[in-house]
Amino acid sequence: MAVTSPVATELSDDSTPGGGSGGLGRFIGLRLLSGLGTLLFVLLFNFFLFRLLPGDPAARYRAVKNISAQDLARIRDELNAPVMEQFWAYLRDPLALQGISAWKGQPVWDLVGGRAWPTLVLLGTSTLLATLIGIRVGIRAGWRRGGSFDKVSTGVTLLFYATPEFWLGLLLILTFSSGIGPFPSLFPSGGVIDSGIEPLSMAGVVSVAEHTVLPAVALAAVYLAEYSLIMRASIVDELSQEYLTTARAKGLMDHVVRRRHAVPNASLPTITLIFLNIGFIIGGAITVETVFSYPGLGLLTFEAITEQDFVLMQALFLVFTVSVIVCNILADVAVAVLDPRIRT
Amino acid sequence: MKVANDGTSRGNGGRRLGGHGRDATAGLAVAGLVAVAGAVGAGVAPASADETSGSDDELIFRVGVLQDIDNFNPFKGITAAAYEAWALSYDQLTGFSAEDFSPEPRLAESWEQSDDGLTWTYTIRDDAVFSDGEPLTADDVEYTFNRILDGQVEKTNYGSYVAQIDTVKATDDTTVVMTLKKPTPIMERLSVPILPEHIWSKIDDAELRDYANEPDSKPVGMIGSGPFVLEEAREGEFYRFGRNPEYWGKQPTIDGVEYRLYRNADALVQALKNGEVDFADDLDANVFAALEGEENIEARSSDYYGFNYLTFNAGAELVDGTPIGTGHPSLKDPEVRLAIHHAVDKEALVDRTLDGRGTPGTTIIPPLYPEHAEPEEPVTFDPEEANRILDEAGYTRGSDDIRTMPNGSNPLVYQLYARQNSETSQTTIEFLAGWLRDIGIDSTVETVSEGRLYEIAGEGTFDMYEWGWVVEPDPDYQLSTFTCDQFSYEVANGTIYAGLNDAFYCDPEYDRLYEQQATELDRDKRTEIAQQMQLMAYDANAYIVTEYYDYLQAWRTDRFTGFVPQPDPGGAVLFQYGIFSYLNIEPPDEGSASGSGTESSSTPMVVGGVAAAAVLVGLGAWLVVRRRNSSADVE
Repeated sequence: MAVTSPVATELSDDSTPGGGSGGLGRFIGLRLLSGLGTLLFVLLFNFFLFRLLPGDPAARYRAVKNISAQDLARIRDELNAPVMEQFWAYLRDPLALQGISAWKGQPVWDLVGGRAWPTLVLLGTSTLLATLIGIRVGIRAGWRRGGSFDKVSTGVTLLFYATPEFWLGLLLILTFSSGIGPFPSLFPSGGVIDSGIEPLSMAGVVSVAEHTVLPAVALAAVYLAEYSLIMRASIVDELSQEYLTTARAKGLMDHVVRRRHAVPNASLPTITLIFLNIGFIIGGAITVETVFSYPGLGLLTFEAITEQDFVLMQALFLVFTVSVIVCNILADVAVAVLDPRIRT
Repeated sequence: MKVANDGTSRGNGGRRLGGHGRDATAGLAVAGLVAVAGAVGAGVAPASADETSGSDDELIFRVGVLQDIDNFNPFKGITAAAYEAWALSYDQLTGFSAEDFSPEPRLAESWEQSDDGLTWTYTIRDDAVFSDGEPLTADDVEYTFNRILDGQVEKTNYGSYVAQIDTVKATDDTTVVMTLKKPTPIMERLSVPILPEHIWSKIDDAELRDYANEPDSKPVGMIGSGPFVLEEAREGEFYRFGRNPEYWGKQPTIDGVEYRLYRNADALVQALKNGEVDFADDLDANVFAALEGEENIEARSSDYYGFNYLTFNAGAELVDGTPIGTGHPSLKDPEVRLAIHHAVDKEALVDRTLDGRGTPGTTIIPPLYPEHAEPEEPVTFDPEEANRILDEAGYTRGSDDIRTMPNGSNPLVYQLYARQNSETSQTTIEFLAGWLRDIGIDSTVETVSEGRLYEIAGEGTFDMYEWGWVVEPDPDYQLSTFTCDQFSYEVANGTIYAGLNDAFYCDPEYDRLYEQQATELDRDKRTEIAQQMQLMAYDANAYIVTEYYDYLQAWRTDRFTGFVPQPDPGGAVLFQYGIFSYLNIEPPDEGSASGSGTESSSTPMVVGGVAAAAVLVGLGAWLVVRRRNSSADVE
């Protein structure tokens, strides 16, 4: 992981160079434009990607119900409009605004909308946990490299980093959901809310929180490990920098040197990574959501692929594409705001 | 969305709380912990309060399922879970008895057929009322059947029931007369949900395609005459049914049914253990074993109507007789198929793939149906006999120990396929490859998705593969899968599609018997014909039926008792052809039981929640203190 060299000006200084904000504006504009380009490319690419999947979607009707050959043929005809015809239909409605899920028979955006908020809750909680704890642990470990905290935390985080999320999830269910030995049953093993409760009521919030704790911890553990390892590496890189010697020579206390000089410089790679990960977690919590039967977008993706639901897949990949692109732009902008050299 | 916002604001509140820490990151870390702890802590008290208020007056039967209800619209959904949901809310003319699947009255109190079997008259009960208060009359029956007869999408699920029906007419409020093109015994087993005309007549063909048939649909969905009515559907998570006060039969003891969706069997089993659900359906053998002997849990391994099989490509052709595909010529020889049948150790498959929860298979109608035929001399596991048959038939081994065709060409190398989503399928094919090697046949194995395998089956580009069927109480459909006109067919653009006959077994005598049973109204005579047909296909080794697998279910005996198996005894207790258990179950001990189940599960939750909150708060505090100490050291 390449680490940027020290930022010349102290970031906490309130004086921002006059030209800086103009440069920043242009920078953001350019990033938005290139993001838009990527989006257009992906929209076209998505159409053909899903139609390359092998298999006969009508197979799901076989052995499920005694369906006659004629009816199967009719179902196939519906699914099998010529590719160019489908492509024109797609170009007319690339966002699948009129799209009906073949699997659930509902407008796809209703399905996506219904599954979006659990994912956002999960994503928000786990990112918050991972970022706050991960950065903190990384700074501390890196600052006292070789110390006992470093040894223990690096060991633990490496272990978490190497642990598959779904396996950790299963262990959490075994331990905290069904209860093993001294552990009573603490949390539900699946779902996001109990029945008969309005999600927006107090009881609803509580129920959602109960259901989110375990999957959030499973997800956070892995990302926490990643952030802390990278933060640690960045801090270690900064340790030998001359500006830190200068800062100490000025008579600043150790924690001030760390907080005001080392950490801002060292946090750039981690911040980039956090934003990029947010983009990916939106679609990438598939394994965790599956283990916890957590009805979010990751699980919906899994189901859409299993059921060969093209329209739903298109809509979901659009969401993921947009979220990755947006988070990329956010990451670039955040780093640019923190590090003026990047703006030019 | 609102919940996500709320979660964030909680975090911000926590930030002020933790702000006294020197290091901003430490403060934030604490804030995060507090946010979680707060959620946990807050989660405890109201949740338990809510649970007691909910379950004291309501006895909800909570069923954990692994398969989603794909669609509540009875013309659109196809999963078993969807059929179960419709069975709760809709009535059919006739039902299947719990004892032996024989036809029994539901909405039709009685029915009679004319002497020529071409006119059937059903007497509809006069006390059936839809859950919205409208009475159910013969007009609704007429409407439902005519909608299917006149429809396209409607035929997807119910086409086979109306195939021989010519007209359907309500002659008065309680009488429906159906005339047929040909006599058919299916008229006693019309598994068609009777829909309210006053709702469905508002849904035209275009609207039908995306009509969800849920409580918030327009017009209001799931209005039926059955004992339960859908109250809340949270897509991908749970579906809750309440009692239908208008139900014509005896009111069930339970106040409602809730299906909770789990995406993996491990989580489902944990949910059953900790009391989140009362019933766990369709479990895997490996997780099922872990439940046996658990306190307060009954784990039941029931006879089921599904079977797994190995099929041969015995000469793939289109319906018009054009040969297609890449099947090995040796498999057209019944002796080779018999030899392979001898080489397959079904006992081992039952042990290794089903953990012993099933029985070795023979014919295509499973033993729990009265129509099942058991061969007098089943093909035994005997590799020596297999080798003897192949030697005698002239398939001699070459220098590489692989047999060739009698004329010395075409070494016997088979292309085998397994299904990606089924471990049983993959294990079976691995075993098969080994057994084939023992009798001098080499093979290549590929694992593909079911969708892809369906294409391969249709195109005939395989030698053997593994798949399964689920068999209905009426044997007609299953028997039809071995008829000649179920071979693959070609459509205009040259694409080839699979029929039902994936063994490419064709015997005119079998087809003649099939036509005969389809119009035979005498149940005993029909059974006899059906049995003869099964044995014909068995003797020809069209399939190797590897196993009749059991259906694995488990439930909490401290919550409910009174489950009704179908068939009785030995059959499954939910997901039947009927809803007997839902109507019959009750708490084991009247009076105390309704609250006790949730109480015992929520008490440790409360204790645990408080403990967890305390631990988290403590951890947060510790972080702050540690931070202070270490800064102090430095300064």
